Amino acid sequence: MNAVPQLFFDAASLGGIYAMAALGIALIFGVMNLVNFAHGEYIAFCVFALIVPSSDAVAVMFLGKAPAILLIPVLLAFGALIAVASEYVVFRQLRNANPVAMMISSFALGFVIQNALLAVYGSRPKAISLWPDLNTPVSVVGASVPLLQLIVIITTLLVVSVLALLLKKTRVGLEMRAAAENFTMARLLGVRANVVITGAFALSGAMAAAVAMIMVTQTGVADVRMGGQIMLVAFIATVIGGLGSLPGAVAAGFLIGAVSVVLQAALPLEARPFRDAFLYTLVIVSLLLRPQGLFASASAKPRV
Amino acid sequence: MKCLATAMTISLATAGAGLADDITVGFAIAKSGWLEAYDTPATTAARIRIDEINAAGGLLGRHISWIEADTKSDQAQSASAGLQLIDEGADMLVVNCDYDFGAPAALAAEGAGLNSFFLCAEDIKAGIQGVGPNSFSASVLAAVQGATMAEWSLGERGAKTGYVLLDTTIEYNKGICTGFDWMFPNAGGDIVGRDTFKNGDASIASQITRIKALETEPDVIMLCSYIPGAASAVRQIRAAGINSLILNGSAVDGSYWLDATPNLSGFVVPVQGSIYGDDPRSDVEAFNMAYEKATGSRPASQYAYPGYILIDLWAKAVERAGSLDGAAVTAELEKMRDEPTAFGPRSFSDAIHHQNSAEMQIIEIKDGTPGVAGNWRISTPVPLEVLLN
Repeated sequence: MNAVPQLFFDAASLGGIYAMAALGIALIFGVMNLVNFAHGEYIAFCVFALIVPSSDAVAVMFLGKAPAILLIPVLLAFGALIAVASEYVVFRQLRNANPVAMMISSFALGFVIQNALLAVYGSRPKAISLWPDLNTPVSVVGASVPLLQLIVIITTLLVVSVLALLLKKTRVGLEMRAAAENFTMARLLGVRANVVITGAFALSGAMAAAVAMIMVTQTGVADVRMGGQIMLVAFIATVIGGLGSLPGAVAAGFLIGAVSVVLQAALPLEARPFRDAFLYTLVIVSLLLRPQGLFASASAKPRV
Repeated sequence: MKCLATAMTISLATAGAGLADDITVGFAIAKSGWLEAYDTPATTAARIRIDEINAAGGLLGRHISWIEADTKSDQAQSASAGLQLIDEGADMLVVNCDYDFGAPAALAAEGAGLNSFFLCAEDIKAGIQGVGPNSFSASVLAAVQGATMAEWSLGERGAKTGYVLLDTTIEYNKGICTGFDWMFPNAGGDIVGRDTFKNGDASIASQITRIKALETEPDVIMLCSYIPGAASAVRQIRAAGINSLILNGSAVDGSYWLDATPNLSGFVVPVQGSIYGDDPRSDVEAFNMAYEKATGSRPASQYAYPGYILIDLWAKAVERAGSLDGAAVTAELEKMRDEPTAFGPRSFSDAIHHQNSAEMQIIEIKDGTPGVAGNWRISTPVPLEVLLN
């Protein structure tokens, strides 16, 4: 087995998941200065949408039964829908509230979604077999890589490119970038706030759905708490990438995934259980050296 | 609102407590939150045993009734739930399935001189070491499960090399691996490598890369984890083409997670009794049917059984002591050596209020179907210094 390419693929696939989750958070932060802590729960919500609502121990496929060509767009739409709905019900009411109040309400929203899932599906984790064939390893430049890892890496790159095009070439993209730079000024110049914000939430929710599909295919389980860990890492990625910077969030997501995999591979056994402590120490060091983030946008705002 | 809540508490307490002459068992358990999935089946089983005892004439000639308080899967709520039940007249407390969550309520019972039983905690701390002299657990120590897997795989499957993959998220997992680490080399096996991961890890690709880098695939992989992390690890290990026999603790018993790895084979867990209808002991299947009658479905995992065992053992000790006094009942429980129960013999001593050796059924999953592959009792009980490690 070839160690370096193997390490590269392991790192890139974990980083890809983090990058996609971070992008979902950065998009919303960009337009409305909100760190949406409910994002992890959007992921869990999309995962549970795959199975029939029931508290029985054995999960029965619901949306998950659909063929991929139908399932992927429907689940992406589902993610977009819950995000847009939460914007309409919660965040729109708080449009003029200060960022801290909005952040707290995003926590509250997360709790509501999580407890709703607990009430409907019960607290026992469930097994879901979505596309098990994607875990078959294939050989690439001397490394043995599950097909899914390649798909994750390619999808992340694809999503980031499409998003970049959308932001650069379309009207709503231009408006989003303008809003991210200076929201008040953008509105004065005729940018439609509701369209931009709804668009950002829809994209962010679809991102959560994409992460959900990848996680389910990789792990085969659904758990109400499964979004929490990934949300935390994604949030850190957006901070060290530079809040408000979309390419920064993606790059930092990949970076955290890569560092985590390298630490797992390189640390001695006694230190390995403390992998995350090492990882977050590096995050602190990075913030001490570049408090504005590694890839801060020109309009970097002060952090909460 | 507050008045209403108080009124409801009082009326519920009186309804539950029944006649003044009743013996009252207090359940400080999670009725909501993530722990509920573990507490509810064991609690249901405990009540099945209470109903059986009542039907047979009660305990000390008195009817047993029960009251309960919700700990909401929250450690802070556990202490107040315990105190509330003691105020309402509980004669003993049954607390959460997990040491960390059940300990505050158990400590409240200890303070009042009452017996407490953890529903299914498998850490040595759930007893004398972590609560006090009147606290017990009804389950089998995690280290015994790991040691059982080690000795069984060497003895029955001719395993020679083992790999240890530890999920460092909770103490239970460390307990299983501690037992395996102690028994496997002692019984002649060779541990060729080890690694750690976290239950919530989105991918264990680098851990798998390390296993695949070994010159020869290990005969067994001791996976010390729980669902969902264990299901996810098994899916990724098998997908990577690693065919070693995978061993785990009782925590992953149940067929509900098997969809995560379709057609899984070569996966083994030790359990106190089989939920699959093939347990060689007829009492176990009789219980499974009683459980189905009470709830509408068979137990989803072996974790219902300790609830039944704890009431069974406690009631026997109360009968022998002729009293409900915590210290007197403890003394009787500590005299138990291989006391027969429906799920095998149980022992307590004045040093360990837990099972440091137990006959376990070995469940093997073949082509996605679990079934009993034999049973095993470790040749040497796990010593206390290993348990306290």
